[in-house]
Amino acid sequence: MSILRSRQGYSALVLPVVLLLAWQVLAWRASTPLFPGPWQVAVSIWRLYPQIVGQIGYTLMRAAAGFFVAAIVMVPLGILLGRLKAVGSVLEPILDMLATLPPPAVVPIVMLFAGTGDAAKIAVIAYAAGIPLIMNTYEASKTLHPMATLVARSLRLRRLETMVFIDLPASLPMIATGVRLAVASALLVSVTAEMLLATNGIGVFLQRQQENFQIANGLAAIAFISMVGLIVNDLVQRLERRLLFWHYRSTETQNDR
Amino acid sequence: MGSFRLLEILAGFRAIISFLIIIVTWQSIASLGLVPEKYFPSILAIAAGFRDMMMSGELVSAELRTISRALIGVASASMLGIGLAVLGDLFPSFRRGFAPIAALVQPIPPAALVPMAVFMLGLGPKLYAFIVILVTVWPPYFNGVAALASVSDVQIRTGQMLGLSRWQILRQIKLPAAMPEIFAGIRYASSISLIAVVVAEMLAGHDGLGFLLIRKAFAIRIPEVYALMFVCAVNGLIMNTIVNGLRWKFAGWQSRMTGQAA
Amino acid sequence: MDVVLEARQLAKAYGVGTDALQVLGGISFAVSRGEFVSIVGPSGCGKTTLLFALAGLQKASTGTVTFNGRSVTAPPRGVAVVFQDYSRSLFPWKSNRDNVAFGMVRVEGLSSAQKRDKAQEMLEAVGLQGFEDKYPWQLSGGMQQRVAIARGLASQSELLLLDEPLAAVDAQTRADMQDLLLDLAVRFQQTCLLVTHDVEEAVYMADRVVVLTRRPTVVDHEVPINLGKRRDQITTREDPRFLAARHDVMMSIRSSRTAAPATAA
Ligand SMILES: Nc1ncnc2c1ncn2[C@@H]1O[C@H](COP(=O)(O)OP(=O)(O)OP(=O)(O)O)[C@@H](O)[C@H]1O
Ligand SMILES: [Mg+2]
Repeated sequence: MSILRSRQGYSALVLPVVLLLAWQVLAWRASTPLFPGPWQVAVSIWRLYPQIVGQIGYTLMRAAAGFFVAAIVMVPLGILLGRLKAVGSVLEPILDMLATLPPPAVVPIVMLFAGTGDAAKIAVIAYAAGIPLIMNTYEASKTLHPMATLVARSLRLRRLETMVFIDLPASLPMIATGVRLAVASALLVSVTAEMLLATNGIGVFLQRQQENFQIANGLAAIAFISMVGLIVNDLVQRLERRLLFWHYRSTETQNDR
Repeated sequence: MGSFRLLEILAGFRAIISFLIIIVTWQSIASLGLVPEKYFPSILAIAAGFRDMMMSGELVSAELRTISRALIGVASASMLGIGLAVLGDLFPSFRRGFAPIAALVQPIPPAALVPMAVFMLGLGPKLYAFIVILVTVWPPYFNGVAALASVSDVQIRTGQMLGLSRWQILRQIKLPAAMPEIFAGIRYASSISLIAVVVAEMLAGHDGLGFLLIRKAFAIRIPEVYALMFVCAVNGLIMNTIVNGLRWKFAGWQSRMTGQAA
Repeated sequence: MDVVLEARQLAKAYGVGTDALQVLGGISFAVSRGEFVSIVGPSGCGKTTLLFALAGLQKASTGTVTFNGRSVTAPPRGVAVVFQDYSRSLFPWKSNRDNVAFGMVRVEGLSSAQKRDKAQEMLEAVGLQGFEDKYPWQLSGGMQQRVAIARGLASQSELLLLDEPLAAVDAQTRADMQDLLLDLAVRFQQTCLLVTHDVEEAVYMADRVVVLTRRPTVVDHEVPINLGKRRDQITTREDPRFLAARHDVMMSIRSSRTAAPATAA
């Protein structure tokens, strides 16, 4: 996120600091372990960070595995469906319907099919990440300007070459939108699946803390999740800016005119 | 040329066709026994599961809870998001101060919030309000801030020349211009709101569709689980329809301008 | 003479039944090696449709196209196209050099380094040295069209098809680009077929002008232009032979306008 390199950092810190102080004051006045203040949370972070980092590692690994499985399957499939108009238009309503199904609702079924191992969790994550990926890729490839295809044909590209060299890069801006949604979705489902059917991961850690009434520890874990999410989002955004500079710069120049 | 016509006609019925395709594929997988019937019940069995849950009344009450939570949540989150965006537009320093909070809170998945929130807020409406608002406020907020900032200078100057106050410019010019983008955010928020509610119900384990899903799954009532998933998907459709209807009312000028139906 | 491209009785209708629009009504003509042929016809008469059929990009309803004696059903090896919609025909994610080099994807026997060099050479030929590493969206419309022309030339195809390449650039740029194109055509001994709605341009550029009627479009007649290969924006346009050819083409376009009813078949 841009605030990581914001030059107006100081003024940006005022509101968060005020909120933290207010929270601390409220916590002091409540003076119960069920309502810890930021200080207690900081202490928990200090004590537990090796454990938290380790557990988040499991969570992230599964989220990443699910995401990549989804990307490898869904991006080519989406481009193919966008090209095969007849097949695509018949399958589109199916996709629309799947898209309206909240991904966590699939967890129980996958749990029954595939048990509670890593494979099951990765499958649910891949499903959850796959839907926004295929929706966006399909939409992009379907609405590509016919000119690109004509150029490809006049250069006598084969179908596969056209998809790799033309359809894929031309679809990338919309695929990037799908990637952002998919990353968020993968993280969400990864944590949810852990809470329902896991032996490790940050979701399990959170649940343990809940069971032991360790609110401050739980909030420490949430703080880590938020940092990790921030970093992942930032990486995705940087990668996108780098790979798609031509898209942003070209739309900028068009807007200038 | 005849095949061209045929394709067009097919395209007109494609929703029905693809629905039929799902049913036929599903039924043939089920009846061919490719997957154990225990896990992959026939359409009839799923329909029967649906009927049973309707008769016992548990489906209706769960559905009403879930959809009302999602709708109330997204409605309040949207209003809050728009409000914060307007605030950010009026006071850039607020926007800057709010940015790090937004950046930190936005990536927290709702599932992670549930265990701790249950302690502080109990299992009642406060829990759902907190979780849904905390995860769905961002799309309307971010889209609102971006859209308000990119309203064209010419339009604002026009307003100034007409002698409008800052507030009037906001109400009459900037907000309408930003509405289409805000609604794109609300639309996305409505889908995460449903996700957040179902997740919270699953984890808080008290009532609602998410809870019912988990309970039926642990009881190995597979047809019921599928029926519940179907209901969840229908809820997504309902939310989409409502948001599209509202968008047509508040931001219809854009669809009409670009000449496409909602 | 050595015939490269030949169209016989090309006809094309869009749509079916009562909605049918007969665009091409049976077009026949030929292009010989080394020739620069212009096809001129009013806007909307089906020039792009014709060119796509010649390039094998779109099937005609009836009639045949042969390229080097072989029937054209798909884009054949040895034909390059410069499209009317140049901004969309260039790829925004490729630098100008890569865009031009991409024109040679299917050219065998060249290493990618050789293709790069060739692309560089072509960009210099169209006067874009210094812009190789820039992207198409960083260029003006006229410069973009020059990249597209460089791509068309790079594959050293036997035949270059140009679809109103200069329709969207300003008058001064257009004159410069006409001379550039002519110059390149002579230098690379490139056989060219230029489609345009601009009568002056058609006559100025070509060794022969094929005049089309309005829809359903057929060849009205052909006008040989005996002005030699060297042309000049000022003197050629004042040459009596130029004026006579221009008169001839304009008269036939005018008569076809009054004679043929403006109905869709
Ligand atoms: N895919 C299509 N489907 C239906 N009609 C078409 C299609 N493409 C072109 N037409 C129609 O065919 C006619 C000729 O189109 P074409 O693009 O070939 O004309 P043109 O001579 O190249 O026009 P311009 O000078 O504007 O480039 C037009 O009336 C157009 O509306
Ligand atoms: Mg044309």
